[in-house]
Amino acid sequence: MSAPAYQQEDEFHSRLDTGLWWQLFRRALRLKRHLVPLAVAAVLIAVCDASFAHITRWVIDGVVRDGANANFTAYAAAYLAATLTLCVCVWTFIEAAGNISNRLAHDIRRDGFAKLQSLEFAYYDSRPVGWLITRLTGDCDRLARVIAWGLLDIVWGTSYVIMIAASLLWMNWRLALIVLAVVPPLALVSKFYQRRMLLSAREVRRHNSQITAAFNESIQGVRTTKTLVRERENLAEFERLSTNMFDAAVVSARQNAVYFPIVTTLGSLAAGLALWRGGVLALGDGITLGTLVAFINFAGQFFNPINQMAQKLTELQGAQAAGERVMGLLATEPAIQDSPAVRARIAEANSTAPSDPAHAFDGGDANIHTIEFRDVTFAYASGPVVLDHFNLVVRAGETIALVGPSGGGKSTLVSLVCRFYEPTSGQILINGVDYRERALGWLQARLGIVLQTPHLFKGTVRENIRYGRLAATDAEVEQAARLVNAHEFIMQLENGYETPVGEGGNRLSAGQRQLVSFARALIADPQLFIMDEATSSIDTETEQLIQRGLETIFAGRISFVVAHRLSTIRRADRILVIAKGRIEESGTHEELLARRGHYHDLYTSQFRRERQEAALDAV
Amino acid sequence: MPSTYTILWRLLRGQRLRYAFALGCLAFAILLAYAVPLVGGVTLDHALGGKPAVASSPLLAAILRLLGGADFLRAHLWLAPVAMVALSALAGGFNYLKGWQVSLASDGIARRLKNELYEHINHLPARHLDRVDTGDLVQRCTSDVETTRQFLAVQVTEIGQAVILAATALPLLLALDAPMTLVSFSLVGPLVAYGYVYFRRVRHAFKAVDEAEGALTGVIQENLTGIRVVRAFARQEHEIARFAGPNAAFRDRNLRLLRLMSWYWSISDFVALSQLGLVLLVGARSIAHGTLSVGVLFTFLAYLGIMLWPVRQMGRILTELGKTTVAVGRIHEILSVPREPEPPDNPFLTAAPLGGALTVRDLRFGHAADRHALDGISFEVRPGETLAILGPSGAGKSTLMHLLLRLYDYEQGSIRLDGRELSSLPRAWVRRQLGVVLQEPFLFARTLRDNLRLGRGDAPDHEIEEAARAACIHDTITSFPDGYGTLIGERGITLSGGQRQRVALARAILKRPPILLLDDALSAVDGETEALILDALRQRRGQATTLVIAHRLSTLAHADRVIVLDHGRVIQSGTHAELSVQEGLYRRLWEIQTSVQTDLQRELRAT
Repeated sequence: MSAPAYQQEDEFHSRLDTGLWWQLFRRALRLKRHLVPLAVAAVLIAVCDASFAHITRWVIDGVVRDGANANFTAYAAAYLAATLTLCVCVWTFIEAAGNISNRLAHDIRRDGFAKLQSLEFAYYDSRPVGWLITRLTGDCDRLARVIAWGLLDIVWGTSYVIMIAASLLWMNWRLALIVLAVVPPLALVSKFYQRRMLLSAREVRRHNSQITAAFNESIQGVRTTKTLVRERENLAEFERLSTNMFDAAVVSARQNAVYFPIVTTLGSLAAGLALWRGGVLALGDGITLGTLVAFINFAGQFFNPINQMAQKLTELQGAQAAGERVMGLLATEPAIQDSPAVRARIAEANSTAPSDPAHAFDGGDANIHTIEFRDVTFAYASGPVVLDHFNLVVRAGETIALVGPSGGGKSTLVSLVCRFYEPTSGQILINGVDYRERALGWLQARLGIVLQTPHLFKGTVRENIRYGRLAATDAEVEQAARLVNAHEFIMQLENGYETPVGEGGNRLSAGQRQLVSFARALIADPQLFIMDEATSSIDTETEQLIQRGLETIFAGRISFVVAHRLSTIRRADRILVIAKGRIEESGTHEELLARRGHYHDLYTSQFRRERQEAALDAV
Repeated sequence: MPSTYTILWRLLRGQRLRYAFALGCLAFAILLAYAVPLVGGVTLDHALGGKPAVASSPLLAAILRLLGGADFLRAHLWLAPVAMVALSALAGGFNYLKGWQVSLASDGIARRLKNELYEHINHLPARHLDRVDTGDLVQRCTSDVETTRQFLAVQVTEIGQAVILAATALPLLLALDAPMTLVSFSLVGPLVAYGYVYFRRVRHAFKAVDEAEGALTGVIQENLTGIRVVRAFARQEHEIARFAGPNAAFRDRNLRLLRLMSWYWSISDFVALSQLGLVLLVGARSIAHGTLSVGVLFTFLAYLGIMLWPVRQMGRILTELGKTTVAVGRIHEILSVPREPEPPDNPFLTAAPLGGALTVRDLRFGHAADRHALDGISFEVRPGETLAILGPSGAGKSTLMHLLLRLYDYEQGSIRLDGRELSSLPRAWVRRQLGVVLQEPFLFARTLRDNLRLGRGDAPDHEIEEAARAACIHDTITSFPDGYGTLIGERGITLSGGQRQRVALARAILKRPPILLLDDALSAVDGETEALILDALRQRRGQATTLVIAHRLSTLAHADRVIVLDHGRVIQSGTHAELSVQEGLYRRLWEIQTSVQTDLQRELRAT
């Protein structure tokens, strides 16, 4: 079985995708305020770096020629000037590159996050949260870093190499050509080894993630390991993994260890060539001793810029996959969004009429009167058909209970109503209008949803309830909590409404989380209320609290309730038994019981289960 | 806890010679690297007329002799570059040896440490593991080991390098020119001290960045895991606004750190360059006064060039030590937790197969929070018999299973297997006699076949299929494209709760244990399939003594006997026939089962 695209390891791109990097570079261009100082500082540093060898040459020639009469003050002044310029430039480039890198990462992250807010659930279905987080954290930072520091090193490195070459040629072009002969092999060796080092480092990381996974599994499965008495076998398997990692790490270390000796030896070769041929010249008074020293110094300095450039280019290639993923995310068009026609209507409605409570911001009816499924068929991606030519009409004030076997299509139906997914074929009409001709924001602002596992955000109880309506007053928050019978438990918390709920709400019990999420849904005063298995994983006590609040919640709204608790189902105006993507039975509780079909069977077994649970609890 | 240095020294066990060898190579490499500028210096002074100092240093004179004397060298000038390249290459060879040996040593230590941690964790008592946070433990086994390895590989050599560089340069330079040496080292001390003080002071800025990154990741994670809630309330704009804060905070804290870094690097650059400038100018003055030669100055400048970079890193390296101290401490903490104790005296011979008789007498057990999880329970199971255990949650059923598996150690009462006290038997032996299926079974991220084989590695394929058939999972498995070779877990397919339970059951059946423990093991399997499985188990009855924790009456009815547990006590026990006529929980459950129909009829008539 081949792994899905998101799980594949980064591959190394031997060819740079110029289009991609140009796109990223264009984003960097917006940061001109930092880009210009970066370039100026990079060039100036190269000039300073090169000037030190010139100063040394000047000093040596001076003292050799003039002895004690040499102009030491001028030497000191020149050296100090070069040093100060260099230090100021170092300060500037760190600032500039840091600003570009961090601001770029910030902006890409901001845009990526905003994009994720607009993408449909189908996008999330095929990508684990951890994968998406890495895109917005590690990938963004890495890309921005590679661009900012890569830019710096490439500008600096190029200028520096040019400065050195120009200096050499200027001092003595014949000698220069001999020394410069070392540059091409140096560049080739650097590029070759940088690439190998990157690949072998990546191989080590791959083994490392296997080891992390093995630790994770062994800790989570430790009781199974114990009961199956697998300790020894597991250790033997783990030792294979750790040995693989060891081997990869040693290979990687050896590659690093061989690279630097090769390039330093090449550096020595250049310096030696300068000393030899330059020495011959110096003996014949062709060049001064100072020039000879400068030649030797310069010859040894090629290594640094070439190494840095080779490294940055390799990193650029290595980061290309990350770049493609991030830019891919930014370029993704949401599959569910307002059509151009709807957007035009929103613009028109906003520009003309002063706000009228009967009309929504897209110019359509503000309220939901009917919802109709007309011949709706739906399948997730290329999966099997979940809803099959489905028809249903629901009117304001109605409560619809959906029951049936798991996988029958109940939750899908609810997701379609909310327009989290859109029908594969057929239409969903709201007030007789296809909902794709209305604004997405209009519908979704009228929803109230309670899911099986309620998700609360870090923050206080009050903040979580207010999430349903950001403008709600404290009194309204408390009123909503009272209506769903959550007020009492909240008041018993350490700080009442100001109690932090912890990450994902983990400081509250499952039942308490569910009560808060009911209050959150109710405060939104939704026209369309959805409960998706909302009472299935909570204790009986909480369930009873919720039951008492349901009357208020259902009143005057369209409600869809996916449930198997009988008390919830019986309350519905209409019960739909959904199986294999179709309505098997439909009617009131009494009608369906009397029919003695599916509902009767479901009801009987559920009735039995609930009473037996009650009996067990009552012991 | 022993000190970090003691622990680190102990970690080096077995690799100390290798480290000594590597440091030796490093010293050679450095000496050879120092010789390169000396050759240059000698050539400049003696062959090319750089006005050798009046009292030319004995060191340069010796090297000159080695190169065949001034006149010979002048005539054969190519000797100098050949010597330089040869010395460089030789130094490179030693550097390579050093890098290789250090990697063998440090990665070897890391491997041993990981193996040790892995093994240790697998032998920790279940009671300890109940309390640990998996994420934290994994972090210690991976990141902390990596920090330690980095220290052993990188920082140890960097410190060694800096020390050797300074220690070897000092006598060499002193031999060349003592006053110049003093000048050359005048700013080295302050440079190291500045780095050390600086990095100590900016630690909080590093921490702030880490915290901001944590907060940022936290917000992203919250948003993405709660994306359904965000959409349900159409709160996209609100979320985008909420994200802006942490995103900007992360950027700004990074920038603050960077501002500190730009000050550090520019100032330390200034100090380092001043050191070089000082040597150049003082040296030039000395040349002018005839007390120094161009070659010696060249050598001094070259040495400083080699030395200054590692010296500038010292401040950072010293602060890194702090991180290693923390990491080493956290690793040590795990390794110092005692393992599951084994009975000291154990004359038991495992030759005879277990009959499967189980006797529990007056068993008491309690956790800290729950003093009386088991409050004196007694029962007996005969070989081949099936006993069902019924009771509300928290009655002590799972605790009993844990005790039978010797995951927990009981202190009061007795459990006997074929008459032998459980606590006197080796844990591994006991566990081999028991097949267990938990309500939420753990499957490993490997193929289905490998998962099934975990309990008996040598089971032939036809027995695997047989076990899978008995657990009603064979058809499901063969419906996958890769059949038994299907990978499960994150990189493969995800099984439903009921499927996982059935795979775990097949795994336990395949193990052919004398005793089978099912802890609510079929709760996620639908009634029809459950009946099939129970049938299959019934056909195998007689092979294994079976203990079943269950809620469904169909499961209970299949047992030979039933005990009802509540608050850690046995409140009822007997066969289905006996309990059906006894007032109690069991009978109430059955009454509900049969009365539901009549109640429904009544409800229907009422409406």
